Amino acid sequence: MLKIVFDEQAKENELVRTSVDQFLTLVPTLESSHQLPIFIFQDGASGAYYVKCSLLAQNAAVLCDLDAKLDLENPETYRANRELLLTNRTYLKMVSDAANGREFNDIIVEHNTEYNLVKPLKVWGGQHRVNAIAKSADKGKNNRYHGFRIYFNLTKSQRTEVALISNTNISVSNDTFDRMIEETKFGNKLLKWCQLVGFLSGKEDFPDVGSRSEKISVKRARSFVVNYYLGKQRGKQLSPDELDENVYEPYLVQTGTAGGISVDPTYEKIISENDILSDAALILGGERFRALHNAQYRAIIEPSSGVKNTKAFRNKAFVESVLCGWGYVAGLLQNHPERLENHYRIPKTTKAVPDPLNAEEMSKYKHDSDDPTYRGLGTRSALKDRQRIAQLFLAKSLEKSVVIDKRLMDRAVSTVVGLISLSKGYV
Amino acid sequence: MLTYRDYLAFAEKYLLLAEEKSKTLEDTNWLLFPATILAWSAIESFINNMLDDFGSLPESMFQFHERAFLLETRIKFIDRGNELGRFALDGTEYRRLEDKIGFLIAKFGQARQRVRKGDTLWQDFEDFKETRDRLIHPRRDKEVSLDIRKARKYISTSKKIIQFVSQHVWKKKVEF
Repeated sequence: MLKIVFDEQAKENELVRTSVDQFLTLVPTLESSHQLPIFIFQDGASGAYYVKCSLLAQNAAVLCDLDAKLDLENPETYRANRELLLTNRTYLKMVSDAANGREFNDIIVEHNTEYNLVKPLKVWGGQHRVNAIAKSADKGKNNRYHGFRIYFNLTKSQRTEVALISNTNISVSNDTFDRMIEETKFGNKLLKWCQLVGFLSGKEDFPDVGSRSEKISVKRARSFVVNYYLGKQRGKQLSPDELDENVYEPYLVQTGTAGGISVDPTYEKIISENDILSDAALILGGERFRALHNAQYRAIIEPSSGVKNTKAFRNKAFVESVLCGWGYVAGLLQNHPERLENHYRIPKTTKAVPDPLNAEEMSKYKHDSDDPTYRGLGTRSALKDRQRIAQLFLAKSLEKSVVIDKRLMDRAVSTVVGLISLSKGYV
Repeated sequence: MLTYRDYLAFAEKYLLLAEEKSKTLEDTNWLLFPATILAWSAIESFINNMLDDFGSLPESMFQFHERAFLLETRIKFIDRGNELGRFALDGTEYRRLEDKIGFLIAKFGQARQRVRKGDTLWQDFEDFKETRDRLIHPRRDKEVSLDIRKARKYISTSKKIIQFVSQHVWKKKVEF
């Protein structure tokens, strides 16, 4: 029987001791083969328990599960790890190193037998290394020991933190962080909502890296929802006459680790106060926005449109300022049904303006007050752009059939600049 | 559409060319005249567009006479029909550039800020205006005399006026 010792910084826990004991019985390690004592450590920040062990490559290849889950109770859980980058140079170097006998260390796994029992070591940090080890072990050579940190009895939030911390030494996108935190805090509500309105298909998940994908990211979906509710709240306070007399400030939800490993407080408040899956008006808003995105996408990929088929133009609706501005106005006009219906209409297209959002013209637009380096309307996420885009859609909602042309852009941006200047004056 | 930056860039190109030609003692008036007029157009473009920004705001945000000024329209008293006894905006009434600047500063500038006609910048502006008027409305008895130094000063005055208005109305410096 192996000696299991709690480190002096770790609080004794019988449940953990039993789990470690069970692990050592099931999984062959270097330490057990030499009857070495096993120390249980406890992370001071999260309280999570772990041991350090060495596993042979062939055992690791069989026992490690790369499809680790954050939420064990939900069958439709988010995918926690990012996609393996099998053509990435760093990964290819790992494969070649493993084939040459490289011994890897500090691979982060969780021992968990609640799902996929044959692979109880759920990988949270080092999935590329594990894959490289498995590849080298396939060839029957280099069956060396590799260093593992193995966690036990993790709670959902400890699991998320382990996943986040383990991934800070490789390039994990903010979108992957967002996806993990979203599930830990709120379950799969947002994912379901995106599938419901059609931003994602039935089994699709949020992308690992929003900027490389053409799908909606967690950050954008959160921003849409937040802006809808913020706009709705503001709209309730305004009479029809007052709607066009304000500069609105659509909100951009903070992403990733911008505010520490936490969720944007505005989003957290809104999601806890509203049931997004049963709010028919929000769902309708999402569907109409998806229809706008689809129409824009189709118009740009149509060769006869004459507009350059670039990702930025195709996905103009998903640019943060456009998405936030549109969502805000959808909320703002909830109490103004006629204008709301105008807002929901896809902008008219003409021979000169072949795509609903007139992406090319928008990207050329510049106001006199803009710096020479300004990159055009609706190309950035900055507040100035979000304010202008909200005004653009608000101006569009005044009439039924509107083309987003230079004249409308001028009117909207002039209004924002004029209102801001007026508020700074002394009258 | 051309912006004030374009007009200034064109003016500077003419000036540059004039400086080159002057080295070989060639005539430069044909370059300095457009440089001066374009520098003036830069101010006109900037100020008119700024007025348009305010003109595009909801009617209720300005008093009637202010809207008339912004939109460069006349105020007409209606003496017949259903609207008898009311005022309406009707027909064009162009305003002088200096009046437009004066209005913008008074309306949107910091408290009690006014254009001071004795200031150096305003004196330079007046001098610039006189030359521009002579170029645009030529008369036998009002000759224009331009040289490189003067044209350079007019371009500089144009930039300073634009910057002055921008800082008072937008509370920011513009980049040229």
